[in-house]
Amino acid sequence: MTEAPPLFFASSDDEDVTMQVDDDAHKDEPQLMQRQLFLSTNDDEEEDPHVPQKRHSSPDVDLDQVFLPRASSVATSSMSEYISISSDEDDDAPSLPQEPPPTKKRRLSPPAAPPPSSPNSITFPIYVGEFLVLNAWSSISGSGYVKINDSVKIERDVDPPVFKRTSKGEKKGGRQTGTNGKKQVSLASMLKTKPSNMKTPRKKDNDTIVRLVTIQGIEFGRLPQEVAWWTSKLLDLDVVELRGKMTDCPSKLAVGASFIVSIDVYLRPSAFTPIKSTNSDNRPRVVFGEGLETEDEKLLRERKNAVLQLFEVVGIKPQAGYSTNKIEPDPAPQEELQKTDTTQKGSEKRVEIVGDGEEVEVEDGEDLSKADLDVIYKRAQHHDNTMREMEPEESFALTLRGYQKQALFWMDSLESGRMDAREASSLHPLWSEYAFPSKPNGDVIDLTQDEKPFYFSPYSGEISLNFPRFEHNWTVNMPNVLLCYTCAQTYIYFSFPFAIRPPSILEMGMGKTIMISALIHSNRGSDESVNQTSTSKHRQVKLDNAFRPMNLRLQNPRPPSATLIVAPTSLIDQWGEEIERSSKPGTVKVLVWHGQNRNDLEDIIDEDENSEGDKSRRPIKIVVTSYGTLVSELAKMEKSGSAIYEIEWLRVVLDEAHSCKSRSSKTAKAVYALKARRRWAVTGTPIVNKLEDLYSLLKFLDFKPWSEFSFFNSFITLPFLARDPKGIEVVQVILESILLRREKNMVDKTGQRIVDLPTKEISIENLEFTPMERKIYDSMYNSAKKNFDELRQKNLLSRKYTHILAMLMGLRRAVLHPHLVFKVNDEGADHPADDGIVDINEMVEKFSEGREKSGAFAEAVLADLDDQRENTAECPICLDVMQNPMIVPECLHKCCKDCITTYIATCEMKGEETKCPSCSRGPIKRTALVEVVRPVPNSQNSNPDVVLRRNDFQSSTKLTALVKDLEKLRGIDPTFRAVVFSQFTSFLDLIELALERENFEHFRYDGTLDVKKRHRVVTAFKEASRRPKVLCISLKAGGVGLNLTEANHVFMMDCWWNSATENQAIDRVHRLGQEKTVYVKHYIVSNTIESRILKIQKRKTALVKEAFRGSGKAQSGNEERDSIENLKIMFGES
Amino acid sequence: MTVYQETERLVADPAPGITAAPHDDNLRYFDVTIQGPEGSPFQSGVFKLELFLPEEYPMAPPKVRFLTKIYHPNIDKLGRICLDILKDKWSPALQIRTVLLSVQALLSAPNPDDPLATDVAKHYKENEKDAQRVSREWTEKYASG
Repeated sequence: MTEAPPLFFASSDDEDVTMQVDDDAHKDEPQLMQRQLFLSTNDDEEEDPHVPQKRHSSPDVDLDQVFLPRASSVATSSMSEYISISSDEDDDAPSLPQEPPPTKKRRLSPPAAPPPSSPNSITFPIYVGEFLVLNAWSSISGSGYVKINDSVKIERDVDPPVFKRTSKGEKKGGRQTGTNGKKQVSLASMLKTKPSNMKTPRKKDNDTIVRLVTIQGIEFGRLPQEVAWWTSKLLDLDVVELRGKMTDCPSKLAVGASFIVSIDVYLRPSAFTPIKSTNSDNRPRVVFGEGLETEDEKLLRERKNAVLQLFEVVGIKPQAGYSTNKIEPDPAPQEELQKTDTTQKGSEKRVEIVGDGEEVEVEDGEDLSKADLDVIYKRAQHHDNTMREMEPEESFALTLRGYQKQALFWMDSLESGRMDAREASSLHPLWSEYAFPSKPNGDVIDLTQDEKPFYFSPYSGEISLNFPRFEHNWTVNMPNVLLCYTCAQTYIYFSFPFAIRPPSILEMGMGKTIMISALIHSNRGSDESVNQTSTSKHRQVKLDNAFRPMNLRLQNPRPPSATLIVAPTSLIDQWGEEIERSSKPGTVKVLVWHGQNRNDLEDIIDEDENSEGDKSRRPIKIVVTSYGTLVSELAKMEKSGSAIYEIEWLRVVLDEAHSCKSRSSKTAKAVYALKARRRWAVTGTPIVNKLEDLYSLLKFLDFKPWSEFSFFNSFITLPFLARDPKGIEVVQVILESILLRREKNMVDKTGQRIVDLPTKEISIENLEFTPMERKIYDSMYNSAKKNFDELRQKNLLSRKYTHILAMLMGLRRAVLHPHLVFKVNDEGADHPADDGIVDINEMVEKFSEGREKSGAFAEAVLADLDDQRENTAECPICLDVMQNPMIVPECLHKCCKDCITTYIATCEMKGEETKCPSCSRGPIKRTALVEVVRPVPNSQNSNPDVVLRRNDFQSSTKLTALVKDLEKLRGIDPTFRAVVFSQFTSFLDLIELALERENFEHFRYDGTLDVKKRHRVVTAFKEASRRPKVLCISLKAGGVGLNLTEANHVFMMDCWWNSATENQAIDRVHRLGQEKTVYVKHYIVSNTIESRILKIQKRKTALVKEAFRGSGKAQSGNEERDSIENLKIMFGES
Repeated sequence: MTVYQETERLVADPAPGITAAPHDDNLRYFDVTIQGPEGSPFQSGVFKLELFLPEEYPMAPPKVRFLTKIYHPNIDKLGRICLDILKDKWSPALQIRTVLLSVQALLSAPNPDDPLATDVAKHYKENEKDAQRVSREWTEKYASG
C-alpha cells in the first residue's frame, strides 16, 4: 500500500484535469478503494448514515498513523524545507485547543453538528456568511445519495496545501476514509510530480474542481465553475471552510442534474496568518522549493481576488476604513472596497451597521470620507495637545515653551524608536474593517456577540483579527529595513508650515532651528553603538574601498554621532548662528561646510573623538551645508569619492526640504544618497504644487513602503487623479504618523495661541495702467489669447503647455514694466553710471553752441526754472499746469513728464520720428530729456536748488506706486525698513534704479549673491540707521528662511502662482520677534492677468489645504486637467 | 480733460472767421465753419467742416473733412484735406484751433505740387486764373448759403 497506490493515483491524478465527468466519477471511486473502506462505499448506498460513520473513525485514526510517518519520510527524502514547515503545521494544529469541532468530530460528533461554542472570544472557524449555489451539478446518477436539507461537504482534492494540513483535514471530522485516501493519493502525486515541477503549477492553474461530497463521503456532484474558481482557491489556501446544505435537488440524481446548495462559509484560523509569514511559508509549499517568486505573487493575487469574491458573494461589506475606535461611536463607513478594487459597484445608498450596532445611512461615500478625514486630523492634533513634554538637555541654552517641549518629546521618541509618542489610532489606510455577521441559525453560537471585527486589506488580500494600526505596521517593517539597508533607523517627516517661534522667551529666531537644535542636544545617539555593528562594518568596508587610513576606525568602530543639516544657501549661516546661540558655549561644534575651501570633513568629525573622556561631554558635531554643495559633492563622489557621502551621519536634517521636491532632480538624488540613521525633513510646504512633491520627501525619509514610487503612484497618485478619495486618505494617514505640524494660529493645551504675533494688515492696491502700458499689455494679451485659442482648437494645449506658460510669463512681465518685455535699444540707458544729475550750465552751453541769439532764450528758460512761480507754466500737450516739467535739451521746450513720455512712446510704437511737440525739432530721445526736480518742501536737505536730471529712467505704474508709497512712508517714519519682493530679478534691477533716483538706501538680495554677500546684505539692512532702508528680495532666493523682523513693511510687486510662497515671503517679516504691526501691500494692476493669478492662487491653496486639513474631495486631481483649467482662467474663460 | 478744456477755450475765444461747436451727444465731434480768406478765390464763402478727435488725441491728430464742396487742389471730392500737420507733422502741442487756422491758411495758399485732387491741381498748374475762376464759381454755388 505504501508503494503502489501513489504510483497509481499519481497518474490518474494528472489526468484528472481533462477528465470527462463520468470518467472522473469513476476515477474517484477507485481512489476510495482502501481495503477497509471498500465496503463502506456500499454502505453509503444503504442510506444508513450511522453505520459508515462508526467506520469512519477507526480508519481515520488508522490512516493518520499510516499517513504521518509517510509525510516525514517524504520530507527527509528530498526537501528539508518542506519538513520543517509541514511539521510546524502539524504542531500548530494541536496547539489550537479552542478549536473544538475537530476534536469532537474526530471522535463522535455527527457530521452535521454545528461547531460547538467556546468561551473564548474567537472560535475557529468563524462564520462569515452564506451563499446559495443555484446550479451545482451532479456527477453521478442514482438515487439516495442526498436529500433536501442534508449536509453536504465541500471539498477539494489533490492540492498540496490541502495535503499539507493533514491534521486539519482530520479536524473537519466525519471524514470519509475515501477522502483520506484521496489525500494519500495527493501525497503520492506530489511525490511524483515533485521532480517534474513543470506539471504542478499548470495543474494548479487549471484545477478548480470543487467536489460535493455526502456526509458519508461519496462525491455526488460539483460546484459550477463560476463558484468553483474562487472557492477552490480559498479551500486550497485553507482560508475557509465551507459547509453545504442541500436546498433543493431531484430525488434521483442524474449526471449533470443541477441542484441548489446553500453554503455556509467559515474563516479558518490560517486565514488570519499574517500575509508575510504566509508568504514565506507558502513558498516551499507552493512551488516545491523552486521558490519562483512570481508563483508566490500570483498566489497572493488569486487569494486576494478569491477573498474579495467571497465577501461580495456573502454580502459582507466593509464597516469602516478609518476611525474604527470603538470607544468613540463615530466611525463613518468607508466607501465600498469594490469601488476601488473590483467593480465599480454602486455605493450610493446603503445602511451600514457600525461596530456597536449603530446604523448609518451612507449616501455619498466621498462626502463622508471627507468628514472622516477631518476627524482624523483633529484627532491627531488632539493627541498633540496631550502629548508629554520633554526637557531639553542642559547643554541647550534656551528655554523652551510647552508646545516646543512636546514637539521635542515627539521628535525624541521617534528617534529613539518609541512609536507611542503620539497615539495614532487610525486604521491602516489600505485596510478595511468588517464585522462578522451573526449566523441566523439559533443553535450556532453568535460570534459577533462580543463584536469582534476583523480586517481585510483589499490590496494584499490579508485578513487580520488585530487592528492594523498604521504605526504598528511600520514598526514591524523596521527590522526589515535595517536588514536590507545599512542606513536609517527613523524616518520622520515633520513640518512647521509657518515656522513657529515663541515670542518673548527667545527674542528672535526660528522655531524650527531651535527645535532641531534642542533635539540634537537631547538625543546624541550615544546608544547607537550597541546594536549597529553591522553598519559599522559596512562603513569600514567603504573606507577600505576608498583607500583611506582606516586603522583607527578598525580598532575603534564608533557609532555615528554627527548631525548634518542641509539648508538653502541663504540660510546656512543663519543655521550656524542659531545653533550656537541656542547652545551653551563649548557644547557644540558647528561647521558650515560650503564654498571653495571645504575642509576635510572626516578630520573634523573625528577630531578628538578618540580622546578619552566622558563621551557626553564632547562637543556635538554639527555640519551645515547647502543643497548646492551636496549636488557638487555627489558628482565628485561618483568620480573620486566624497567625504560627506562616506560618513554615516547620525542624523540628516533637510531644511526647506521641498527643495528636493522633484525626485529626478540632482538635488533630490544628492539627498537620497546620504547615509544616515535618522532623517528629518523640515518644510513649510510639503506639497508645493502636486501630491507627488510629497513623494520625494517620503523617498528621502525612506518611509517604506511609500518610498517606492510605484507604490506611491498606485495608492496615492493614481487614486487621486481618478478623484478617488482613497488617495487623499492614504496621504492623511501617512502624514499623521510622521508629520508634526505647527501653525502660528494653533493653540496649546491651555487654549493659548502658541504664538502671539502682532497683527498683519494686508492690503491690495489696484492700480491703473498708463495708456501706453495698457496698449502694450493689451496687444500682447490679444496676441497671446489668439495663440491660445488656436492651440485650443487644435487640441494642443497640453503639448504646448510650456509655450503658453512662456506667453503668460511675458504678460506678467508686461504688467510690471514695459521694459521687461521690450528690449531697450538705447544701450546702457537703464543702467546709467551716475544718478542722472545734469549740470544746468553745461546744458545751456551746449544749447547755445553754434547758435546766435539763442543765449537769451536759454537764460530765460533757466530763470524760469529758478523761479518758484514757474509752476504756473502750461504744458503744450495737456494745456494744464505742468507737472514734473521735462525739458527737451535740444530746444529747451518743456512739457509735463507724463505728456512727453507718452507722446514719445506713442511715436515709437507707430514707428514715427520723435520730435519736440512745440517746435518739431527732432528726433528727440526719451532718455535725453531732462527732468526738473524740485526739492521736497519738507525735506531738511540744505539744497533747495532745482536739480535737473536726465530722464534715463522709465517708470511704470507699479514702480511709481511703490516710490510714491515709500515717499509717503518716509514722511511718516524717517527710519522705516521695508522689504520689496519680486520674482523677476530684472524688475528688481528697475526697482533699485528707482530707489536710487529717489534717494533711498537700498539693498539687493537674490540668488546671484554668494553666501558671504548675502550675509553682508542682511546684516547691513538690519543695522540701525537714521535713514530708511529698503531691501529688494528675489522671491525665490529670499522667500524662505530669512529673518527680517527689523522691517515691518512688505511690498509684493507681483503675484506668484502659489499663495503659500507669498505667505512664506511675508513671514520673513511677520514672525517671531516682530513687535510692530506688519503692513503688507500687494500691487495689482486692474484688468490684467494678475487678477486671474489671484484666482488660480485660490485654487492652489485649496489643493494644499486639502492635503493637510483633509477637506476631502479631490477637487483638482487631474493635474493636466487642472493646468488647463488654470490656463482657461488665465484667458478669462472660467 | 484736455478736450473739455480746449473746447471751452475755443468757444470762449474763437479764432477770427472760424467757429467750432461740439455736438451735444458727442463732445469729440465738432461742427466747424471756416470763412474763405480775404483775397482768395474762396473769399466770402462759408465752408462747413466736420472735426473728430480720436481717442488718442492729442497723441494722434484730429480728423477733419470739408462737408461743403470746394474746388481746391489739396482737397478732394470727398472733402479730405491734404495737410501735413493732420498727418505726419502732427504734434500734440497743436490744438483744434491751430489745426483750423492751418486749414484756413491752406485756402489762401493752395499747393498744387502736393495735390490730393489731381485734376484740380493740374488745372491750377496749367491755368491758375481759370482754375481760380472755377473755385470762385464753386464757392458762390456751394458756400454762399
